[in-house]
Order: sequence, then C-alpha cells, then structure tokens
Amino acid sequence: MLVPAALVLAGCGSSQDVLAPHSRSARGIASLWWDMLIGSALGLGLVALILGAAWVRRNEPGVPGVRDGDRAALGVVLVLGLAVPIVVLSALFLFANIFLIRDTTLPTASAAASDRPALTIRVVGHRFWWEVRYPGTAAVTANEIHIPVRTPVQVLVATQDVIHSFWVPELNRKIDMIPGQVNRVLLYADAPGRYRGQCAEFCGLQHAQMGFYVFADPLPRFRAWLARQAAPAARTSGSALFVSHCASCHTIRGVSARSDVGPDLTHVGSRTTLAALTIPNTHAALVQWLRDPQRVKPGSAMPVLDLTDAEVSRLAGYLESLR
Amino acid sequence: MSAYGIGAAARGGRERPLGWWGAAMLVATEATLLAVMTATYFYLRFKNVAWPPRGVPVPTLVVPLLVLGLLLAATTPVCLGVRAGRARRRAATCGWLIVALVLQAAYLALQLHQYAHDLRRFAPSGSAYGSIYYTLLGAADAHVAVGLLLTLWLLAKLARGITRYRLNALEAISFYWYAVNALTVVVTLTVLSPAL
Amino acid sequence: MTPAPPVERLERIWAPRPGVLGWLTTTDHKRIGLLYFWATLVFFGAGGVEALLIRTQLAQPHNHVLGPNAYDQVFTMHGLTMIFWFIIPMTTGAFGNYLIPLMIGARDLAFPRLNALSFWVFAASGVFLYTGLFLGFGPNAGWFDYVPLASRLYDPGRNIEFYTLGLIFNSIASTLTAANFIVSIFKCRAPGMSFNRIPLFCFAFLAASFGLLFALPALSADLVYLFLDRNVGTHFFDPAHGGATLLWQHLFWFFGHPEVYILIVPAFGIATEIIPAFTQRKMIAFPLVAIAELLVVFIGFGVWAHHMFATGIPTVTLVFFAGASAMVVIPSTIQVFAWSTTIFTGLPRFKTPLLFIVGFILFFVAGGLTGIMFIAIPFDQQMTDTYFVVAHFHYIIFGAAVFPIFGGMYYWFPKVTGRMYFERAGQVSFWIIFAGTNLLFFPMHIVGLLGMPRRVYTYPSGLGWTIYNVLETIGGFVTAAGILLLFGNLVVSYFRGPRAEPDPWHGPTLEWSVPSPPPEYNFAVVPTVSSAYPNWDAADRELDRQRLAAGAGVLDEGPEQVVSSFVDGETQEVVRMPHDSPWPILVALCLSAMFAVLAVEKYTVAAFLGGLLVLTLVGWHAKEPEEA
Ligand code: HEA
Ligand code: HEA
Ligand code: HEC
Ligand code: CUA
Ligand SMILES: [Cu+2]
Repeated sequence: MLVPAALVLAGCGSSQDVLAPHSRSARGIASLWWDMLIGSALGLGLVALILGAAWVRRNEPGVPGVRDGDRAALGVVLVLGLAVPIVVLSALFLFANIFLIRDTTLPTASAAASDRPALTIRVVGHRFWWEVRYPGTAAVTANEIHIPVRTPVQVLVATQDVIHSFWVPELNRKIDMIPGQVNRVLLYADAPGRYRGQCAEFCGLQHAQMGFYVFADPLPRFRAWLARQAAPAARTSGSALFVSHCASCHTIRGVSARSDVGPDLTHVGSRTTLAALTIPNTHAALVQWLRDPQRVKPGSAMPVLDLTDAEVSRLAGYLESLR
Repeated sequence: MSAYGIGAAARGGRERPLGWWGAAMLVATEATLLAVMTATYFYLRFKNVAWPPRGVPVPTLVVPLLVLGLLLAATTPVCLGVRAGRARRRAATCGWLIVALVLQAAYLALQLHQYAHDLRRFAPSGSAYGSIYYTLLGAADAHVAVGLLLTLWLLAKLARGITRYRLNALEAISFYWYAVNALTVVVTLTVLSPAL
Repeated sequence: MTPAPPVERLERIWAPRPGVLGWLTTTDHKRIGLLYFWATLVFFGAGGVEALLIRTQLAQPHNHVLGPNAYDQVFTMHGLTMIFWFIIPMTTGAFGNYLIPLMIGARDLAFPRLNALSFWVFAASGVFLYTGLFLGFGPNAGWFDYVPLASRLYDPGRNIEFYTLGLIFNSIASTLTAANFIVSIFKCRAPGMSFNRIPLFCFAFLAASFGLLFALPALSADLVYLFLDRNVGTHFFDPAHGGATLLWQHLFWFFGHPEVYILIVPAFGIATEIIPAFTQRKMIAFPLVAIAELLVVFIGFGVWAHHMFATGIPTVTLVFFAGASAMVVIPSTIQVFAWSTTIFTGLPRFKTPLLFIVGFILFFVAGGLTGIMFIAIPFDQQMTDTYFVVAHFHYIIFGAAVFPIFGGMYYWFPKVTGRMYFERAGQVSFWIIFAGTNLLFFPMHIVGLLGMPRRVYTYPSGLGWTIYNVLETIGGFVTAAGILLLFGNLVVSYFRGPRAEPDPWHGPTLEWSVPSPPPEYNFAVVPTVSSAYPNWDAADRELDRQRLAAGAGVLDEGPEQVVSSFVDGETQEVVRMPHDSPWPILVALCLSAMFAVLAVEKYTVAAFLGGLLVLTLVGWHAKEPEEA
C-alpha cells in the first residue's frame, strides 16, 4: 500500500498521518477507515460489475422495438438499492456513532475517577499561532505542547480572534475553536514522542503555517519541564532592547514585558521551532525572523521592526539564552 | 383546435391562472425568507440570558397589536375587491382596493412612526437583539411596501377598464396580500414574544 | 414536401428580431438557453484557470506561483465560480431552459420575459463578482465564508461585499428560473402528459427548482446579516454583543447542503435521458426514480449540520444529523441500481454520451461512498477540512455532476446545432477526462489521510505529501487537455460536422420529434402524449403529422401556448405569450447599477436606482398580452 510506505519514509514525529494512530481514539478511527474502505470497495465493485457486464453485451444485436420495464430488474433495484443499504447503513451508523464516539470524547464528569483526565490544558488560537497554558501553574508557552505520556489530558480550546481548529491526527480527532465558546477534546498518547498538529479551519493568510507539536514525555520529564516553564525568565540582563521594542506585544515573565498580542517568550529558547513550526529555532532562522517576519511568514501579525543588524543579533542572542 | 376542446372548457376552468402560480412561487420563497429570519430571532434569543438585553425595554403589546389590526382589517376589502372583480364590477373593485390601500398605508405609516420611536431607545447596532428586531420587522414591512406599490399599479390599470390580464393580476396580488398578512402576524408576534 | 400553410404562418408569428438586437431582447427559451450556455462556459473557463493556478501553486512545497493573498482569492473564486456561475446556470439555465419546454411539449416557459431577466441578472452578477477580483477585492474567505474571518475586523477590504452582494444578485436569477420551471412543468404540459408521464429529466429539474426556491432564502438572510454586520454595525454574528458565530454556519449549510443536491439532481435527470436512448429501454423502476429525485432534495434539507461535526455542538444533535445523512443516501442507492440495471438489461451502445454516464455512475458511487464515511461522526471529525473532503466533493461534483453535463453536450449537440459531432474524438475525450480526473482527485484521498488540510497555499516537505500533489497537478492538466479536446470537437463539428437528422438516437422524449435545430415555435401542432416516452409512441407522432396536414391544433393566431391542468395535464386554456421584449435587459441593468453602488456604500444613489427599477417594472407591464 502506498500509505504505509509513505509513512515509513516520513519517519515518526514528522507526520500527521491519520493512519498512524498513537492512541486508542485515533486507532479506533483508523481501523474504522479500513473497514469502511473494504465495504466501499465491495459496493463500488458491485456497481462496476453490473456496468462491466453491460459492456460485455455492447455488441449484442438489437431486437427492434423498445423494451419495457420488468419485474426481475425491479426486484434487483429494491434489494440492492433499498434493503442492502438500509442494513449496511444502520450497522455503520450504530457502530461508529455509539461505540466510537465514546472512545474519542472525554469521559463525563460522572465517569470513574481513574478515567477522568489527570491534567487540563488551555489552548487559545491566534492568527497564526497557539497560546498554551497550564492552569494551576504559571507556565505559558506557544506552539509546543507537552503532555505526560499514557495519561488522558483534557484540552480546553478557545480563540482570540477567528475560528481555528485544533488537530493532532495521530492522537485524536479535531475540534474547532469558536469565538464565544470553549470546546473540549481528549488528548492521549500511547508512546513517548513528538506528534505534529495543524490548524484545520481556514483562518486567513497564514492558515497554511499554523502548525504545532505535541510532545508526550514520561511523567517525571514532563514534571520537570513544567516546572521550568513555570519559572520566570532565566536571564534578565540584556533585556532592555527587548523591553523597548517588543514589550508592546510579548511577555517575558520576570522582565517588565507583559502583553499577549504575540507568543510568551519567557522560555522561547527551549522551543524547537519558531512561528508555529514555520522555521526551526536556530540562530540563523531567528535572525531572519527578527529582520523581516513578513518575508518568513507573510501576513503574520508581527511587523517588520526596522532593527539594525547589531540590534538583531543582540536580541537573538538574548532570546536564545531564555531556555 | 376543436380537436382539443380548447375554448369550451378553457375559460370556465376552475384552475388558477398562470400569474397566480407565479405569485405562489414568489410567496413560497419570501415566506421561507421570513421563516428563516424568525428562526434567527429564536436562535439568538436562546443564546442570550437577558432578552432583550439590559437597558433595552421590553416591547409593549397594545399599540403594535392595534396597528397590526389595521393591516388585518384590510383583508376584508381585498377579498371583496376580488369578488367584485370576478363579477366584472369595475367601480366596486377599485373602491374596495382603495379602502384596503388606505388601511395598509396607515399601517405602514404607523409602523414607521414606531421605528422612529424605538430607534430613540435602542439601535440596531446596540446588540444582536436590536439587530434582529429591526431586520425582521423591516423585512416584513418591506413586503407591505411592495404590496402597496402593486396595489397602486393595479388601481392605475383598473382605472382604464377590466381585462382578463388585470383580473389575473388581481387574483395574484390579492393572494400576495393574504400571504403577507399571515407572515406579518407571525413576525409581529415573534418580536412581541418577550412581552407575552 | 412544401411546408403546410400553418407552418408558414407560425414562422411569421414567431420570427425573432434580426441581429444582435434579437439576442438582447429575445424571450425564446432556446436562445436564452444558448446565451446561458456560452456565458457559463466562460465562467467554467475562469473557474478552470483558477483550478489550474491552485494546482500549479501546490505542485511543489514552498512554491511561489501565488502568494497567500492571491491564493485565498483564487480558491474562493474557484469554488464560487464553479458552483454558482457554472454548474447551476449550466444545468438549470442552459440545459433546463433549452430542453424543458421541448420535453413537455410547450412553446416556451410559463414566463418568457422573466426567463430573459434571469439570464441578464445572472450574467451581470458574474461581471460584478469578477469586477471585484480584478479590482483586487476578490472574495477571500472561502466559498462558505465563515465569520468572524469574513467580518470587517478581519477582512477590512471590500472583498466580502463582492461576495455578499454578488451572491444575493446571483440568487435572484436562480430564484426566478426555479419559479419559472416549476410553474411551467406544473401548468404548460402537452395534452395527455399527466403527472406520471412527465419525463424523469423534468422531475429532476422540478426537484432542483424546489431546492433552489426553499434553500436560497436561508443564504440570502445570512448574506443580509453579514452585509449589515459589516456595513451598518449590527451584531448578528458577534458573541460579545449577544450574536452567535455559529448562526452563520447553520444558515449557510441549511442552504449549502440542499445546494449540493441541487448541483447533482439535474445530472440525474440528464442520465435518465441518455440511458434510455442508448439502451433503447425504458427506465427500470420509473416511479421510484422519480420519487427518489424529489426525495433526495427533500431529505437534503435536514442534514445540514453534518458540515459542522467539529464545532462542538452537543453529541445528540450530531447523531441526529448523522442519522438524517444516512437516510438521504437511500434515494441515491435506488437510483444507482436503477440506472445500472437499465443499462445492463437494455441494449447498451457505448457512444460518447453513454460513456460519460457510465463514468458518472462510477464517480458518483465512489464519491458517495466517501460521503457515507462522514456519517461516522468520529471519522468526519478526523477528516473534515482536509483534502479527503476535497476528494469527496470533487469526485461527486466533477465526476458526478459535470460528467453528465459533458455527456449531455454531446447527446443534444445534434438537436441544438443540426450537426453531428465526431464520435471517435468524442470517445477519446471521454477517456482522457476520465483518466485525468482520477489522477487529479484520487490522490487527494491519500494526502487527506496523511493529514493535509485544505485551503493551504503552501505545505512543508517531509510530510509525504509532495508526490501526491505532483500527481494531482499532472492530472489537472490532463483533465484540462481532455476538456479542450471536447470543446474542440464541438466547435469543429459545429462548422464541419455531418448534417444531423431530427432524431439520430431514436430518443425517448418529445424534443426528438421536432426538426434539428427546433423551429422558434418548437411544435407546429400541439403534440399529444400517452406515456413518459412520447417519442417512442409512434402512433401518437403519426397523429401529430395528420393533424398538421389537416391544420388542426396548430394555434396560429398569434404566439399562443396551451395551459394545462396541474395533475392530469388536460388542456385548460390557450394563452398568448409575450414575444421579444427590451424590458428584461433594462431591468437587469438597473439592478446591476444598484448593486454596484451598494458595493461602494452609496446608499442614497442605490435607493434612487431602486426607484428607477420600479419604473422599469411598470414599463415592463405597460402592454398587456391581449393587446400585443
Ligand atoms: C454534488 C454534490 C454532492 C453530493 C451529491 C454529495 C453527496 C453526499 N455527501 Fe457531500 N459534500 C459536497 C457535495 C456533495 N455531496 C461538498 C461540495 C462538500 C464540501 C463542502 C465544503 O466543505 O466545502 C461535501 C461535504 C460533505 C460532508 C461534510 C464533510 C466535512 O466537511 O466534514 C458530508 C458529511 O456527512 C457529506 C456527506 C454526503 C453524503 C452522505 C452524500 C450522499 O448523498 C451520497 C449518496 C450516494 C451514494 C451512497 C452512492 C451510491 C453507492 C452505492 C450504490 C454503493 C452501495 C452503497 C451502500 C451499500 C450503502 N458531504
Ligand atoms: C462545482 C464544481 C467544481 C469543479 C468542476 C471543480 C474542478 C476542479 N477543482 Fe475544485 N473546488 C470546488 C468546486 C469545483 N472544483 C469547491 C466548491 C472548492 C472549495 C473551495 C473552498 O474551499 O472555498 C474547490 C476547491 C478545490 C481545491 C482545494 C483548494 C484548497 O483547499 O486550497 C483544489 C485543489 O486542487 C481544486 C482543484 C480543482 C481542479 C483541478 C478542477 C478541475 O476539474 C478543473 C478542470 C477544468 C478546466 C481545466 C477548465 C477547462 C475548460 C475550458 C478550457 C473551457 C473552455 C472555455 C471556453 C470554450 C469559453 N478545487
Ligand atoms: C505588533 C506585535 C509584535 C511586536 C511589536 C513584536 N512581535 Fe514578535 N510576534 C508577534 C506575533 C503575533 C508573533 C506570532 C507570529 C506567528 O507565528 O504567526 C510573534 C512571534 C515572535 C517570535 C516567535 C515566537 C515563537 O515561539 O514561535 C519571536 C522570537 C518574536 N516574536 C520576537 C520578537 C522580538 C524580539 C520583537 C521585538 C524586536 C518582537 N517580537 C516584536 C507580535 C509582535
Ligand atoms: Cu488557524 Cu487555520
Ligand atoms: Cu452536506
């Protein structure tokens, strides 16, 4: 099959493949797909067979006159067109919508304590990046979500502006972020690793480059990470330039910069990518970003700031130190 | 021609003229439009805790219902006008239509007055309540305004005598009025519903 | 044989004005059908060019053919153009207009001038929309234009005004056409054509017309709200002021889902004409198919929220809509098996039109099956807004709604032009388009499963998407080549094709009983009908000829037309039809001017033009048919 082959080539962690599930929910959906594919192949095959049989008869000499309808053919229509679909559709409908919905949604409040999500994360969609908060801690990050592995996590999603859609196909189905409402989705990962996600509702110029990663870590590592993220900035010296140019939009906790127009940069140095997976978090890429964000990501909300080369490299150096 | 019996059965036929069918299609689509707007009203209403929102007065019942009564009262003269028309009594037809026209115009004038009054208290741009309130009422009353134009036009035509074409138009326009009256009732009750 | 004297008289009565003026003022349904045909082809070309631009941009990751701003306008315009300015006007406007009166044995539609008005309004709405694009204000928030992305705050240009006004404008035309078709099919049938003898083609167009009539108001209301939100400051969609974001989606899809059946049902109708003609067999399960055509649109009004499975509305609601979506499948499966068993048990002759219908059935089943998959809510929540959905709807729109249009172009070509097309080239064009379409849209399923969202102007390499996108792009150009061959064939045939007889296929319905191309008055004598396949009732047609020779039932005292009773199709009266009028185009001009000034927020001028519009309407009705 082409699909699995492509998967192997792409390698784990840099795919967002519906058919490479890493959770019970996503597995349920993927196996449903394969079942439906087989059913569909049978359905299409049947129709193709009838048409193929007609093709075989294409040169049969004709009887003069026009043929009327006949009962046998009507019977075929009723069985194949009415009876069989009713059975097939009912089966699909019951299976998919009663059993599978249970597997892909969060347990209700009345569920057994062991099933209830151990952790809640808030994700807010912005044009064109993701704000991530861990309620109960001071940790705020962007575009890179960390969760403990093999733990059900409740994600509460909302939006700051237009509709976005939060989607990590290898972990679960998607959920829209709609103004005026908070939606919930279950996130669960079977195995440690990095899972790619992407905004799935058209949200404007950079909808294409509004990606994010979910990192599933063993619990201790996750705890350590969270503690680091909750702490204020590692370094405050050298922040003056930042405060004067960037504080109108960004927050660095511990420095007098607190604005949430753009991502929280308190620990930006610890992220692997910048600008919602548009560029890697390397010195060169960061410099390019600071020089001309509109070239890197045209239409993003971060303006060109007319910094000198020296200022750019000083800022880059400072940001990189915020680990 | 006689082979089809056309002519004999034709004019006495009980079925409606084409124009009536055309009006029926127009009414069907316009009724759907107003139904959708009414549905919008209730959708928004159930999305809001306070309806109307704080600072906006609950509509009063008596005056709008009386005004609506004017419009409904015009149904009778319209109906009588159609009867007179079918009997080819031109003066009576015009007379009844003028009576209806006066009532309907009075309704519209009072509605406009009501808008002016309401606008001083809340604006369409104040909240979703105001938005749907004015849009829904305005849509219904626009249909009344169109009806007035249609009646005026018909009167101008009838002034120069009765023809089959004008009778068909009379059937179609009267049907339009019945429908608009019914729709206006629904719409008015909808916007008055917070007071009911 | 010299034409009988009544025919000469008819020729005189129905003669069109000569030259361009004749076309501008025509009310002849055939001429209007042709105008629609040419106009929609231009839009199809535009939509196709936009499609190829999309494919070129996506041929490689990080491509720079289109920037994000251009891309957003191009894909939005592509969707809008193909749906509202190609398929609907091509099926209803061109095919319906030309063929419905011929099939029901009428001389024109019930309201010929209204029909002309529809066309001019339609054409003007297209010009309006594309003016926006060329001014740099092409609609850019997707064809379903979700708020708040489409609100003034996030889309401050005039782009969305061209969307809202353009669509309101366009839906006026569609509504008029729909009303006209319904009344015509209800009231203008030939004597003897009772309801159960209406050709399936007309049932299909009846269903589409009802769909339009009841679905478009929801869109119009939605568009009005959006226009007001953007320009007057109302708050229909603004949750901060008591509005609701999802209101837009509910109303849009309440229109949008019936809309997709409106796109496909005329294709069903075309299929049910071509299949009997090329198998010389009446449709199996005729009444079931007729009911299915109506039912699919009817149930289609109850499934809209299946486009909103990921919006977080309560699960019970979702399950209800999934159930309704399962029900809407049944009429389609009935039809699929009715078509295919009819082909199988008939005497199939796989000429180009039938080939396109076979392709249509296969694509419809394939696209329908992915549609069924979306009934599984979790699967839909996984796949929605990915290329898997794009694959679903292009299979079912391009494969299933457009293929019968192509087949129909070949099938009725001899009737409309009086010439035959070249069969060999026709079959080659079918195979190229069939292969190209699969190459174009099949990989979209895979790339969707690999996680590629739709509406992205670029994508990263390394996710395994590139190869499929390359294939799709190649498929796009192959398809385009096939389409060019198709039109090339028709154009050359128009000038060079062998002369066609009146009835080259031994077709089942009345249009084949008249000369090719049909005369202005369609039928010299009012035909009598005693089955749903009247052209196969040789005795009836012989009767027509005898009547003509005897000069009976010709209706030659003016442009006359029979009006029939609603159920039995019994003749009720004879009415005079308006014949050629300048008013429709004048009204359309006023309306266009009004929309143009609305787009630039000149409301007083718009009101003034509205007054002018009323005056033109008065002029329209100044002359009564009896005096004409
Ligand atoms: C011509 C247009 C057309 C038609 C006919 C259909 C037909 C169907 N569509 Fe499709 N659809 C679209 C056009 C169309 N669709 C478009 C344009 C969109 C996307 C809009 C957008 O987001 O931009 C869309 C999106 C869409 C969605 C939303 C996807 C999403 O965005 O998440 C869904 C969900 O339920 C759906 C379902 C269906 C179903 C169940 C049918 C059924 O009617 C199909 C019935 C047909 C068959 C089933 C074929 C017959 C099969 C057999 C005979 C085999 C035997 C079968 C059995 C045994 C069961 N469609
Ligand atoms: C109604 C139908 C319709 C049709 C027929 C098509 C046809 C095609 N579509 Fe369409 N498409 C949509 C409706 C349609 N599409 C809709 C509704 C959307 C969603 C938009 C949105 O998300 O908002 C969409 C989105 C869409 C996308 C996704 C864009 C995105 O999400 O970013 C893509 C990408 O490849 C695509 C490609 C194509 C291609 C290659 C064709 C090809 O089949 C086109 C082939 C046609 C030609 C190449 C034209 C050739 C014709 C001529 C040359 C005519 C000659 C002219 C004269 C003689 C005058 N379409
Ligand atoms: C007008 C607001 C604004 C100003 C001023 C601004 N930024 Fe930004 N910045 C943003 C936004 C919005 C983003 C998110 C862009 C995106 O991904 O689409 C961003 C993203 C970034 C990122 C990437 C963050 C990540 O985690 O992906 C860095 C680094 C950054 N900005 C640094 C700076 C620096 C340094 C300055 C000052 C010289 C600055 N910004 C000034 C709005 C601003
Ligand atoms: Cu955010 Cu698309
Ligand atoms: Cu749908």
